[in-house]
Amino acid sequence: MAASAAALTLPLDRKARREEDRELVRLSQSGTESAFEELVRRHQQRVFALVGGILRRPEDVEDVAQQVFLKAFLGIKRFDQRAAFSTWLYKIAVNECWDYLRKKKVRPLVYEADLSDEQVSRLDGIVSAERPPEGPNTRAEARELLERMLAALPEQDRQLLVLKEMEGFSVQELAEILDLNVNTVKVRLFRARGRIMETYRRRADAQSKAAGVAAAQKKG
Amino acid sequence: MSTTWEFRKGACKEYELLLEDYLNRALGSAETAAAEQHLRACAPCRAAFDNAAASARLMRLAGPSEGPGPAFARTVMARIRAAEDRVADRMGVWQPLVRFGWRFAASATLVLGVLVTYDAGWVRPAQRDLNGTRVTAMTDIFAPDPGKAPASRDEVLMMEAEVTHGN
Repeated sequence: MAASAAALTLPLDRKARREEDRELVRLSQSGTESAFEELVRRHQQRVFALVGGILRRPEDVEDVAQQVFLKAFLGIKRFDQRAAFSTWLYKIAVNECWDYLRKKKVRPLVYEADLSDEQVSRLDGIVSAERPPEGPNTRAEARELLERMLAALPEQDRQLLVLKEMEGFSVQELAEILDLNVNTVKVRLFRARGRIMETYRRRADAQSKAAGVAAAQKKG
Repeated sequence: MSTTWEFRKGACKEYELLLEDYLNRALGSAETAAAEQHLRACAPCRAAFDNAAASARLMRLAGPSEGPGPAFARTVMARIRAAEDRVADRMGVWQPLVRFGWRFAASATLVLGVLVTYDAGWVRPAQRDLNGTRVTAMTDIFAPDPGKAPASRDEVLMMEAEVTHGN
């Protein structure tokens, strides 16, 4: 999936895909169901990523993603192709996520924004390594720690960061999907990155000071 | 990375944009040099940048969320077909009523047209004389009968006597 996401970011490839999308949209508008099915196949991965990035509730992602494509199908005849199909589709996805959260009266899943001493130690190992060890355990661990750190952020900053760094959306795409200025997205990303480390740094500092005091007491 | 790091509230505001681009390796050589020069000179910015880089590393390590299963597209299309069928069924129940409504509206328009035409007088030429002047359709009961009009003074007196004495 990471490989396909990387391929999507190549400008030439994107341009070609956009042209293919245009043709598929035209066919879908004239009632060819197989063309719409192809559009679903081409965009399902990113819609999943987007919905997953906003809801952070794996159990709800598939249902909402299906609803997104259903709405797109019902509205495709009115889509005038002035924007890219993907942008239009992702906007439907964002609105659908917010509708879903509003109807269910739930907030996206967030953890307590605090870390235990043990978590800080583990995080130190992951963050400080220039090339952190990769593997399912490290990934799961990083994910768990990250969820806690993300809780310190306002909702929209958290979404921006998750969609950019974890789900592979570009700044340009995020600006279009969320109706924000590109520079605003960049600045908010930079600040959000710093803020999520705040929890970790504070805990790490406290831990280090406590260790220093303990060592001094032992000496004394 | 030292754990005795002292957290400072953010980087220089005018450099945040540049540092974000620098982090994403999205700068040209001149701008890259400017960013690096500023990072060497400004400790808060250097700290903020280290923070941002560390969080980016952590997030990339966490990786993307799970993608859809292989049957997702088919499930979506099945759901779309089911929704279309539901709409068709709903239309099926109301279809005769809708058709009747249209027919009724068409008939009503036709009848209204005929009535308006009739009212405009197109189908009543008898009410107009040959010169186009309008004549009244009702007879005036108080007007004298030209056949019974008195021809002389004696006849007038005779008629008066008939009215006064009753025949």
